[in-house]
Amino acid sequence: MRVETLYKKNSHNWMVMGRDPERRDEVIDTNHYLVQHNGRGMLLDPGGIENFPIVAAEFSRYFDLSNLEAIFASHQDPDVISSLTLWIQANPNLMVYVPKIWVSFITHFGVSIDNIRPIPDEGATITLGGHDLDVIPAHYLHSSGNFSLYDPDAKILFSGDLGAAFMPKDDTDLFVTDFVAHTAYMDYFHRRWMPSNEAKSRWITEVRKRDVEMLCPQHGAIFKGDDVLRFLDWLENLDVGSGWSNIR
Amino acid sequence: MSDDLYIRKMYEEYDSIFQQCMSLNTELHKLVPLAKQMHLLSSNAVSSAARAGSKGNAFRVLTHDIQLLGVDVSNCIEDTQKSIVEIVVLASTLARLFSSYATYGDVLRHAEQFKDSATSNDFFYQGQQKIAQEIGDNNIKLGRSLNVLSNILSPISMLTKKGEYLAVFSAVEAASAGEYEASFDAVSSMLRDLVSQLGQQYQRQYFLLRDLSEAMELQQTNMRNLLNAR
Repeated sequence: MRVETLYKKNSHNWMVMGRDPERRDEVIDTNHYLVQHNGRGMLLDPGGIENFPIVAAEFSRYFDLSNLEAIFASHQDPDVISSLTLWIQANPNLMVYVPKIWVSFITHFGVSIDNIRPIPDEGATITLGGHDLDVIPAHYLHSSGNFSLYDPDAKILFSGDLGAAFMPKDDTDLFVTDFVAHTAYMDYFHRRWMPSNEAKSRWITEVRKRDVEMLCPQHGAIFKGDDVLRFLDWLENLDVGSGWSNIR
Repeated sequence: MSDDLYIRKMYEEYDSIFQQCMSLNTELHKLVPLAKQMHLLSSNAVSSAARAGSKGNAFRVLTHDIQLLGVDVSNCIEDTQKSIVEIVVLASTLARLFSSYATYGDVLRHAEQFKDSATSNDFFYQGQQKIAQEIGDNNIKLGRSLNVLSNILSPISMLTKKGEYLAVFSAVEAASAGEYEASFDAVSSMLRDLVSQLGQQYQRQYFLLRDLSEAMELQQTNMRNLLNAR
């Protein structure tokens, strides 16, 4: 796996790790993000048990993980946070921001409630090292309790499963290079995993209110510049919740 | 054997302890219908003996004791449930902790390749030590729970022996019950058969528990060696 810096200004920094060409075939490709501010760090969707060793070891090169303050989980899936207890074992005071409705489910991973910081349905602000990050509701996209995270300084939106793509294993580009070709990798995922057009429209409206230069999904390549708006337009016109029609 | 392989082997052994507990639980449940049948049959025998008047007095006393014995066995098995659940939870927790311990070993192996890393390897060692501490605590609890289970199960052996004697004596009494001999003898024969099945079933549990205790003892020694080596 490789680690790349997406944004760096003074003590503020975004890093991504992902697009791993060496992952096992049966394990979905995942991206993990580390936000740093004033020496404090927060991991976004740190991933499953499967890739904990590599995620922890790789990020440890660039950031002192003893200063890791928080984990943000966009939703409750195993590829998002099944590694939670492993992170907490090394850092018992870690704060884990999770959608409120998933708290009693996530504790099944063996996490103490003392570490959990439930995010209310309407969203919240998370302060990291004195810097505020907006938590935007993305419920039913795909999980019924789901959030995106926006950084107004870096103008980066971590979108969780929105914008995710099932890409060919040999395509390891970090950024989307040909948007039209890329839609082929996103189409089925969004139609199958995202159940609600209404929820989708609400989220797009919220995102359009913000200045987004990079849209960073948990799976697949990152959207940058004009591709962010292209993605929002594409998603707006997509009939989600229709991915099972072939079965009928 | 390398450290890593050793840890993985221990994880597998805890998983095996977990599987053994599940087998023991399944076998223990097989005692329940036997004890119930014994209780039902001996209840009927007590009633028949009562109807036989003075000729059935001795037979009634003996079968009443068998009836009580069935209740004692059932109570004994009920008491094991809490203990078995505790053991299963502890063994599966230990298997998970060993897996986490091994995962931290993987992190360290990766991290040790990097020079000038921002994070000190001590950070990961501390995480691994916390897991080791949890393993130690849970291992002690598991040892205690196995002792409790062994203590709860031990009366079954004595109850089975008592049942064998009672069944034999009830056969003797049946022989001197005059016109009731045939019916008492039939009941007595069925009781003997049930007590014998109970004894065989208990033997299976005894061996399972013995294997489990041995596996546990070995595991505790291995774990102490591993943690002392660090």
